[in-house]
Amino acid sequence: MLSGRWQRVRIIKSIQTKVCVDGSLMKEYVLDEPLTEGFIQFLGQSGKVRYLDSLKKPYFSFEKEQFISVKGFVGDESVEVRYKKEFQDLIGDYFHLLLYYYQLGPSGRERLNGIDECLKEKMKIRLDTHGSECT
Amino acid sequence: MVKRSSLYHKGTAMETRQQNEGQGLIYLNNAATSWPKPPEVIAEVTKSLHNPYFEQGRTTAMGAIDYPAAARETLAGFFHAEKPDHIIFTQNATDSLNLLIHGFTRNTTAPFHTITTELEHNSVLRPLHALEMDGALTLTTVPFINNQVRLAAIKEAIRADTRLVVMTHGSNVLGSMQDIKPVAEYLRANDIFFIVDGSQTAGHMPIDLTGIPVDAFVFTGHKALFGIPGIGGFYLTDPTAVAITKQGGTGSDSSSLCHPLEMPTRFESGTHNYPGLASLYAGVRFIEGVGLAAIERKGRELTTSFIQALKKTDLITIYNESPDLPIVSFSINGMDNYEVGFILARAYNIIMRTGFHCAPLVHRRIDEGKGCIRASFSWFTTMEECRVATDAIREVAESAHH
Repeated sequence: MLSGRWQRVRIIKSIQTKVCVDGSLMKEYVLDEPLTEGFIQFLGQSGKVRYLDSLKKPYFSFEKEQFISVKGFVGDESVEVRYKKEFQDLIGDYFHLLLYYYQLGPSGRERLNGIDECLKEKMKIRLDTHGSECT
Repeated sequence: MVKRSSLYHKGTAMETRQQNEGQGLIYLNNAATSWPKPPEVIAEVTKSLHNPYFEQGRTTAMGAIDYPAAARETLAGFFHAEKPDHIIFTQNATDSLNLLIHGFTRNTTAPFHTITTELEHNSVLRPLHALEMDGALTLTTVPFINNQVRLAAIKEAIRADTRLVVMTHGSNVLGSMQDIKPVAEYLRANDIFFIVDGSQTAGHMPIDLTGIPVDAFVFTGHKALFGIPGIGGFYLTDPTAVAITKQGGTGSDSSSLCHPLEMPTRFESGTHNYPGLASLYAGVRFIEGVGLAAIERKGRELTTSFIQALKKTDLITIYNESPDLPIVSFSINGMDNYEVGFILARAYNIIMRTGFHCAPLVHRRIDEGKGCIRASFSWFTTMEECRVATDAIREVAESAHH
C-alpha cells in the first residue's frame, strides 16, 4: 500500500544519457531528496505503476504511453527516466514537470492534467499531419 | 539550506560502489569483461607504467621488458602456435575480425561467397553485412541446432565460389562451444579460408592451434585472459592470404615508404598498447599458474550450481541448461530483461548483462528477438556469490508474480 505526502524534490544533475535500442532517450537523474511513496502514488494517477515492495529495496516503474517511463527505488536519490522516441521534443522536460507539479499537491495534479491534454493534442496533430513519419 | 554546488557532488549508489572498489559487488559479467583482474596483472601493468617503454627498434632504452615480444612468446606457447611472429596484436577481437575479414576480401579479385553462423557476434556479422552491402561478397548464415552449428550445415551451404567461413568457437549467449576441428579440416581440404572467433573460449578452454588447422584464430585480452580492455589479437597461418589494410610506423625498415611485409609488423603499425600487452602477458601466465583444467572445472561447477538454483522455480526460462562455457542466459517470464537487470544491479549490487549481447541472430531464434539476461563467471567468482545471485533472481521473479 502506497502512502506519502507531497514534497519538494529537485534534480541536481543528470549523470547518464544514452539512446536505447528502441530509440528512446534514457537519462539518469540525481535528486536532492529520496523518492517517496507519495511521489509514486502521484505518478499512478496518470499512468501505469508497477510497485514491488517485497524486494531488498521497494522498486517501482512508471509507464505513461507516448510520454515517459521511469524506474527507481523508494528511498533512492537517483532515478532512471526514458523519454519516448516519437515526441522527444515535446516531452523532453516532462520529468521536471512531474516533480514540480507533485510538490503542489492536488492543484498540481489538475494543472498537470491540463498540460497532458495539451501535449496529447499536439501529438495527435502531428500524427494526423505526418502519419508514419513520426513513428 | 544546502548550496547547489555542494549538492552537485552528491553521487549515486553506483558511484559510491565504484569509489569503494567494488566492495560487496557481485560481478557476473565476465563474458563481457572479466573482473576482478588477478593481482599479478595489476602489478605487471603498474610495473609497465613505472618503467620506460622498451621495444626493439623504437627506443634506445635497455633492460626493461619487451612486452610485445614477451606477450607474443607467452601467447604462442599458450595456444600451441607454431610461429610466435604470426601472433598479431590489435585493440580487441572486433578490431582483429575487421582486419581479417576486410583484409581477406581486399585480397580477392572478384566477389565471392562467405558462410557464417547464427551464433555470431556483431563483430563478425557487421563487417560481413557491410561487405555484402558493398557487393564485395554474398553471404549465407547457417543455423544452429541444439546450440551447435553442424559441419553438415556448413557443407550444405558451400558453393563453388565459397572462399571464406567465419565462425565462433563459443557462443557468447548460449555458452556452447563449437566443434571447430572437423570444420577446419574439411575447409582446409577444400581450400576455404577459415576464421575462428575465440573471444569466449580463449582462457576458459585449452586451445591447440597446432592440432586444429584454422587459418586465423581471434582472441581478446579483456575477457578470460584477464588482460585490461584495449588489447586483443589473432594468429594467422598464411599472412599472404590477408591484404594489409593499415600502414604506418613499425620501428623497422623506416627509410622505406612501403609498409614492411614481414610478420608481425605486416599487420602491426603504430605504438603498441604496452600496459595492455603487460596485462595480457601476466594474465596468461596467471592462467598457466592456476591451470586451465582447474579453471574449466570451476567454471562447470559454478555454472551447474547456478542453473540448478534457477530451476527451482518455473518462473525462469534458461536458454541452454548445459553450457560448455561459464555462461548462463535466462529471462524471468513476464518481466522485461532490462528491468530485471536494473533491479539486480541497484537493489542487490549484482552485475550481469541484459539485452542482445551483440548477437542479434541468436536472439531471433531463442527469445523472439527480445533479448535476455546473461550471467557469466570467472575463476574469481565464488559459489557463495552464485548462491546470493540466484536467491536474488528468484526473489525478483517471485515478487513480480506475487
